[in-house]
Order: sequence, then C-alpha cells, then structure tokens
Amino acid sequence: MSSINNTIESYQQKLAISRLGLWLFFASDAFMFGGLLVTRFYLLGNKNLNLDQTLGLLVTSILLISSFFMNRAEVMVSEGNHKGFITSLVITILLGISFLVGVVGLEWGSAHFGPGDGAEGAVFYMMTGMHAFHVLTGIIFLSLVLRNGLNKKYTPEKHYAVEASANYWHFVDVVWIIYYPVLYLMGTI
Amino acid sequence: MKHFSIVSILVILLTVIVYVFLQAVGLLPTQASSQAVIIDQLFDIHIGIISFLFSLIVVFIGYSFIVFRRNKLLPDEEGQHITGSSKLEIVWTLVPLAVVIFISYLGAISLAETRKIDPQALEVKVTGGQWFWSFDYPDYGITSDVLNLPVDRQVKLSLTSVDVIHSFWVPEFRVKQDVLPGENLVKELRFTPIETGDFMVLCAELCGGAHAYMNSPVKVVTEGEFQDWVDEELGNFPQDPESLGERLAKNNGCFGCHSLDGKDGVGPTWRGLYGSEKTLVSGEKIMVDDEYLYEAIVNPNSQIVLGFPANVMAQNYGDLFTDEEIKNMIAFIKSLD
Amino acid sequence: MKNFMSTGIVKGILYQIVGSFIGAGLLGGIRALMGLSWKTEPAIVLGGLVGAIAFMVGVGAFKDWWKMAVGDDVTEASEVAGEQGFRRYFGFSLDHKVIGIQYGILSMVLLVLGGSLALIFRVELAQSGLQLLNFVQFNTLVGLHGMVLIASILMGIAAMSNYVVPLLIGAEDMAFPRLNAFSFWIAVPASIILMSSLFFGGFETGWTAYPPLSVRGPMGIQMFFLGVFFVGWSSILGALNLIVTILTMRTKGMGLFKMPIFAWSVLATSIISLTATQLIGLSFQLVMFERLLEMSFFTPSGGGNPILFQHLFWFYSHPAVYIFVLPGLGIISELLPVFVRKPLFGYKWVAMSSMGIALTGFLVWGHHMFTAGIEEYLRVPFMYSTLLVAVPTGVKFFSWVATIWQGKARFPVPMLFVLGGIIVFLLGGLTGPPGGTVSTDLHLHDTYYIVGHFHNTMFGGFIFPIFAAIYYWYPKITGRRMSETLGKVHFYLMTPSFFLMTFGQMRIGLLGMRRRIADYDPAMGFDFTQLLITIGGYLIAISILVFFYNLIVSAKKGEPATGNVWNSRSPEWDILPSPAPAHNYAGIHFNVVGEPYDYGLKGSKYVELAQNVGQRKENDE
Repeated sequence: MSSINNTIESYQQKLAISRLGLWLFFASDAFMFGGLLVTRFYLLGNKNLNLDQTLGLLVTSILLISSFFMNRAEVMVSEGNHKGFITSLVITILLGISFLVGVVGLEWGSAHFGPGDGAEGAVFYMMTGMHAFHVLTGIIFLSLVLRNGLNKKYTPEKHYAVEASANYWHFVDVVWIIYYPVLYLMGTI
Repeated sequence: MKHFSIVSILVILLTVIVYVFLQAVGLLPTQASSQAVIIDQLFDIHIGIISFLFSLIVVFIGYSFIVFRRNKLLPDEEGQHITGSSKLEIVWTLVPLAVVIFISYLGAISLAETRKIDPQALEVKVTGGQWFWSFDYPDYGITSDVLNLPVDRQVKLSLTSVDVIHSFWVPEFRVKQDVLPGENLVKELRFTPIETGDFMVLCAELCGGAHAYMNSPVKVVTEGEFQDWVDEELGNFPQDPESLGERLAKNNGCFGCHSLDGKDGVGPTWRGLYGSEKTLVSGEKIMVDDEYLYEAIVNPNSQIVLGFPANVMAQNYGDLFTDEEIKNMIAFIKSLD
Repeated sequence: MKNFMSTGIVKGILYQIVGSFIGAGLLGGIRALMGLSWKTEPAIVLGGLVGAIAFMVGVGAFKDWWKMAVGDDVTEASEVAGEQGFRRYFGFSLDHKVIGIQYGILSMVLLVLGGSLALIFRVELAQSGLQLLNFVQFNTLVGLHGMVLIASILMGIAAMSNYVVPLLIGAEDMAFPRLNAFSFWIAVPASIILMSSLFFGGFETGWTAYPPLSVRGPMGIQMFFLGVFFVGWSSILGALNLIVTILTMRTKGMGLFKMPIFAWSVLATSIISLTATQLIGLSFQLVMFERLLEMSFFTPSGGGNPILFQHLFWFYSHPAVYIFVLPGLGIISELLPVFVRKPLFGYKWVAMSSMGIALTGFLVWGHHMFTAGIEEYLRVPFMYSTLLVAVPTGVKFFSWVATIWQGKARFPVPMLFVLGGIIVFLLGGLTGPPGGTVSTDLHLHDTYYIVGHFHNTMFGGFIFPIFAAIYYWYPKITGRRMSETLGKVHFYLMTPSFFLMTFGQMRIGLLGMRRRIADYDPAMGFDFTQLLITIGGYLIAISILVFFYNLIVSAKKGEPATGNVWNSRSPEWDILPSPAPAHNYAGIHFNVVGEPYDYGLKGSKYVELAQNVGQRKENDE
C-alpha cells in the first residue's frame, strides 16, 4: 500500500521519535546521578577519600578509550565497514569489562573501608556501584548489538540500535568524567 | 461598568464578613509567648488576604452565573467571543507578584523578630527520645522531666535527640523546632513566655510507637516561684538509693513505657516486677532478680518478656548510666511492690 | 478456566508469587552456602524485586523487546489486532485507550484501598483514647493511606493523559506503545508490593519515611520503598512517553499553541515526573541500602545526616504536588469553555502558567523543612520562592473567572465537578501561604491544618477534576452516558461532606492537633470535631460508592450517546464517533483550521475533515 519513499520517511520519523525518547531518558537518569553527587557534597564536603590514584587513573583512561572505540564502531557501521565495526565493538566491550574489573574487582577489594564504614564508605560504594551497574547494562546492550552485528542485521542506513547503545555508552562515560574527580581527585590539592 | 461596581461592593462586603467571622471563631490558642504575638500579627495579615481573595473569586463566579445566566428561550445561546486581554493578564501577573514579594518581606521581618537574641536568656538543654522529654538546666545542675520556666525571661533551648527525629512544640508559644540526633546537629530555639500557667510540650514529628504520648508539662511561673523551685530541687533532695533511682528513672523518661500503677504499657510495669516470675520470648521462665534487671537495662533485647516488642528500648543505657546509677535504679524497682 | 489462567494479569500475579519465592530463596540459599543464617529482610527485598520482574515476564511485557533485542522483526504496534471485549482490559495491550482504561481501573482500585485505610483509622480518631488499633497498626495505616493514594493519583493522571492526549492532538497512539504498556503494568506488581508492607510488620514512619526512624522500625518499610520505587519508574517512563508524544505526534497544522490546553498541562506535569521522580527513588534506595548493608547515609553516629534525606525526598515530593494537580487544573481549563460556551480567556497565559508552576515548583522544596533544622540562610529564600508559586496559580484562577464572566453556563454533572474543583482548589491555594511564610509555619508545621490544606489541594486539583473527566469522557469510552441524577447525588453529597472534613481538620490543627497521632488529649476538646471529620470521611466514601454504582451500571444501561454529547469543538468529539474506534484517526484526515476554544464565534471551526476522507493519512503510517 505504501511506497518505498513512505517507508523511508516513516523510518526517519520513528528515528526522530526514538532519539528524543532516549535523550529524555538520559535527562532523567542524570537527575539520579546528580542526586548522588549532592549526597557526596552534603555529607563529605570536599574531603578526600584516599583512594588508589593509579588505579583511578587507569580505569578512567580505559573508559575514555572505550568511548573512542564505541564511536569508531558507530562510524564504521554507517560506512558499511562490517569488519571494522565488529572489531571496534569487541574492543569496546573488552575495555568495558576491564573497567568493571578495575572498579568492582580491584578497587572495592583494596579500598580501606567497607560499605558500612561511615559516610565515606557509603558514598563511595553507592556512587561507584550505581555507575558500575550502568556500565554493566551498557555491556549487555553492546553484547546484544554484537550478536546482531555478527548476524549482519545492521545496514549503513538502518542501525539505530548501534546508535542508541553508543549514546548510552557515551552518557555513562560522561557520568564517570564527573565522578572521577569527585571521588578521586577532590581534596588532594 | 455597572456590573463591576456591584461586584466590587459585594466583594468588599463578603471580605468583611469572612474576615470578621474568621476573627470571631478564635482560630488560634492563647498567646503565651512574645513570639506568639509577632506570629499572630502575620496570621492576621494572612487571614485578611484569604478573606479578600476568596471573596473576589467567589463573588465574580457567583454573580456571573446568576446575572448572565442563559436565557430559557434560547437554549443554544453562546457566550461572547472574548479570547483574552494581555493588558489584564499583565496586571494580574504583576500585582500578585508585588503582593507576594511584599508578604515575603513581611514574613522575613516577622521571622527576624521572633529570633531576637537576649544575652540574658535562661539556658535549657532539651533531650528528646522514644518517648520522653528531659530538660537540663546547666546553670543550676538540675535535670527534670517538667520544663519549668520563669515568665518574661527569654529561654534558649539547645535541642538534641538520643534516637530519631522529634519536634519540640508548644502550641501556645507558636514555635516549633525539630530535634535531631547527632552531636553536630544540636538545634537552638528561643522564646519568651509572657503568661504564667500550665502548658504542654508536644512532639510534633512522627517518632514511631507512642509518638502521641510524647508530651511533657511546661510550667511557666513567676521569677520568685522559679527560684523556689530551683532551691527545692537543689536542696531537699534525699540521697538514698531508692530516691536517686527514682529520680534517674523519671528524668530519663522510663515511666513513658514502664508504669508504676501495675498496668503494663509499652514495656512491663515496674509495680510488683521484682521477685515476680516471667516467661521470656524464648520460652524460658525466669525470676526477676537483681541480675536479670541489670541485664534488662544494659542489654534490653537479650531477655524480652513474652508479649512485649523487641527493639523498642534504647540499647545504650549501659553507656549512659554508671554502675552505681543502675544499682540505684534496681533498688527503686525493688521498692515497688 | 484455561481462558482465565491465560489472562495477562492472572499470569502476571502467578509469576510474581513464584518469582518472589525464588528471589527470597535464592538469597537464603546464597547465604546458606556462605555459612550465614537466614535473614528475612534482604530475602524479602530480593523476593520483591524478582517478583516484580517475574510479573512483567508473565504478563508478556518483554516478549517484543526481546525479539527486538535479538534483531527479529516485530509487528508494528498499529497493526497488532489485540483482544476484543472486556478481556482486553486485563491483558497486555498496546492500544493507548485500553491502557488508559487500565490505568483508570488501577487508580480506582487504589483509591478504594487507600480510602478504606483512612476509614479505619478515622474510627480510631473519632474519639480520644485508644479503642481499635495499636500504635504500629495506626502508623502503618496512616503511612499507607498517604502512599497508596499518591499511587492512585499518579495512576489517575496517567489514565487521563493516556486516554485523552493522543485523541486531543490527533495521534494514532502514543509514541512508544510498548513502553506505554510497560509503564502501566509495572505499576501493578508495584501496588501489590506496596500493599504487602502490611504483612511484613507494617512501618511506623508515615509516607515520608524519614530516617533514622525508617532505618530502625519494622521491615514492612522495605516493601513500601520497593513498591514506591516501581511506581516511580512507571511514572518516569509514562512521562517520557507523553512528552515525546506531545512534541512529535501532533496532527498537521496543530502548533504547540493550538493544542487543547490539557495537553499543555500534561506536558508541564511530565517534565516534573521525568526528572524529579529520580530523587525520591534515590532517597528511598539509600535508606534501603542503609538498612541492608549498614551504609550510614542518614544516621549521624555513622557520619550521615538525616536532613540530607529530607532534601532529596522533598526535591521530588514537593514538585509531586504539582504533578498531581496540574493535569486536574488542565481538565478544568479544558472543560470550562465547553460548558460556559466562551473561549478560554488568555489561552497562552494559561498554558504558560502551567509551565511556570512546574518550573517554580522545582525551587520550593525547602518549605517542608522550615522547622527541620536546615541551614538558617535557606529559610528566607525558600519563603520567597514558595510564595512565588502563587503568581502563576493566580493567573490560572483569574483566567478561569474571566472565562466564566458573562458566559452562558450549563450545569451538567461534569461542570458541577469542575466548579467544585475550582472552589476546593481555591481553598487549598488560599490556605497555603500561612504555611509558606516561615514564622507562621513554625506554628502550622506537622499539624492537622497542613492535613486540611493538602486534602484541599488534592481534592480540588485531582479528585474533583478526575470525576469531571470521567463523567465528561465516559460516552467517548462506552458510547453511553452516566446517569445525571446519580451524578448529582454524588456531587451534592461529596462536596459538603468534604468541607465538613477539611474545615474540621484545619480548625483543630490551628488549635494544636498534631499530625499522625493515634490518640489525643481529651482536655484539648477535639473530640466533637474529630467525630465530625470521621462522619465527613464516611459520607465521602458513600458518595463514591454511588459513583461506582453509576459507573458500572451505566456501561450497560446508560442512555446511548454516540455523537458530540457536549457540543465540544475538540477533535475527539467533533470528528470521532463514540465509542472511539481502534487506532483513533487512522483513515480520517482532518486539518486544524482554527483556534481550539472559539466558542461564540459563529461559523468558526477548530478542526475540519479534509476532502480525501477515508484515504489513509500517509504520514501517520
């Protein structure tokens, strides 16, 4: 009944709608992360938490680099470079997993306080925990994208799932760019 | 224009009627502090504004419904096509804005007035807990469960809680301050009683369980009577263990849960407690003796008597009281048979 | 029987029960493996969590999403046939009108539950002394009454927005039909979890759940938190959907300032729900973790601060008041012109006043904490911002009065409820400022005056308008009218009873009656007024029973009404038949040719059928 033109136009409209929805979700989620920031400043002021600076710098770099590869993946899928897309995506996922290992595995294990040890412990574990939860969901989304990518479900024209997961990944990254100085650097100077 | 003149007159009339009515019913309790006088002046302004705005809206709507009602012969009659007026909208944005800013200004003044500091103020440390009030007079070294205050002298309360949030409120004084746990969260409240009499301090913040009964008497007396009370508290004050124990229990609000009349409250009554046999939650039967009572005070959850809730009594009496004091308390309980 | 068992809701509940046991057992099992003893509290939290997810699986919410996630094709929402008849309201449907009704049913169920809780503790309060309840029961009932009705209100506004907004703006459905269904269905297990707090020892904190009290008391509070958490997600996702729908799916020619005014108020509301709701979720989540893992966010002895909770909590819970009332005020603005046959006075100003209320609403939360011991320098700024809300609210009232002025009013039942809403909300608004100036609030805070005040705003801003909306759009839903006589009985019984209740509350509050107390000193002389309040409450309940009778009986026996019952200009009455067909305007092409509320302008039209009637609108596919 509908011509090809119409299908494309309707896909474009759907895309616009989905994009707006995704950005509104980020706005909403940002309020939650903002609330945790408020919690940190209200309870601890600019007190330093005495965390492992090397590890902090390392995981932050890993996450930033992963965002770069995420962006590569998105660009490549829109250029039709299937192999490059898959490679970049796999690297992103691996870096994401290393970030989780760094924060949840190493930092949580080595920190000089537990979650029950005063406001510092509570704030630190809640902030890193909420962020890690988001990274974890991001990895799940990316893994699904990878699976579909391997099955060649994405074309240069139609790959909204890649775009959405990428934006989510960048969003979580941006959150960490704010959290990192607040957790690690504040009060050191 | 004719309609607006009539409506204006009606609005003024109704405003006066509502205002006079609200003033006549006696909305507020007696003014027993100088803060109450200041606060009630602001209440008066509010009542005036409420009367006016209520009348304004109601009269306009009512008048329109009656005077411009639909002609019975023209069932499909429509209203006039008026879509709005920016001029009017701007007026009823800016005028309320000005009024609102003015009221806020009055509110700020009123708040500042109620918080005026008198360096000669009588200092009282107030401690709230589940479910008692305790009042400490550091100048005299007195602790009491009744808030005794001299009239016409400002009192400065430092409020703190031993467990959850409570709130200090005496309706006749109009002022209220939440009482928070934590050494860094001691709050201050000042007021000047201006009327002698008996009042009640009420806990105004839901604090669980017996919140409704977390009341203590407030006695506002003349300066001379206050001095008499201080002398009496400091002077004739028996030093035997039973009396010391009774004082301690009274000042720490134990009677809020443990009655002395033989009827169980939130906790078991103390009358006839000593020497009686009780069944514990664990099913074990025990005899209430010195050892049991000591444990029950220091570590209440360990030996809850069947039929009473756990986790109600504070867990920190072991740190709060000295051994000597606990022994006095047990001596007092022993004396109640 | 098999039919019954395959109904979405039945399946969902079964899955939830099984899921809860699995979740609780899982935690117990893990702890057992680690050599730890059984602990009920973490087990029920995990049980509740898994149960809610299991419910969503059972009802079928994840089926299409899973297909999408693994890259399979799913049927377009507009081509899903869906079930027919009464059954469709109890299963997973993508039709916004069905979801709207589902929200409505849930809202009314919660209204009855929440109201009944109040009826129980009102008996306790009818005279001094403790007769019926113990402390924990009383406190639990008070807290649940508050939160269950908040949930009911959120569901109610979602019902109105879902059913009406796409119809008003000429959309086929919502922007994300599956998300829409998800938002509704997550609220069902949420309500079940919320109510289950009754069976886990209740909770003593009231709906505000202030720590440290909420950190100590019985563990029912965890179920309360968990339930609210899911209701919050329902609210956030619903709001997201509505914003996108309103911004992107309006019919051709309908600019933002040509939308029916109700859409504006929904837009304003949704902006608040989308963002602020996160903060109540977070604050409750922090207390949950404080209880589970002893993370001391709010306990001073561990370095926490109870005031922080209040900031986070009220950052949502004050704007939430505007979430509750803005759609109701939108209903008033929407219906008033229809019944006075005059244009809405100052459309743009009314639209902007909703936005103004929403935005100032973000800046006023501190007025709930004037006595809480917040930083001294915060109290006066919060007083200014609080009173500022009066300005946009005033614009609304003055515009309504100007709309009514010289109008040719008709008084069918919806109009009665609109008027009731205006007057009751007026009282709610006027009783607000004394609580907004700090020094007077020192007296009023946590008293029955505040209770009276917010029952006025809730009734005026939600209860009256939603009844107006139900009477008004009922023919659009069922093709039949509700009984006018019974509607009038409902109105004339409820309104005076409400005044009896609320004036009684404010009166004793001013004289010294505190909130949330199970018993009061007979010496204060409140017994008689308390009895009147209880009587008022029961009369309201009776009037609402009349309403339910009317609602149910009229569906079958009401007077048939298929045309433009209220002679309204808006598209759902002007163009669509009643009951509204599936997919709304699919196949009907209409243009916006005028202003929405030009009543009294001869020959003008808001919407007009296009020439090519019957031809499928191409862009809307």
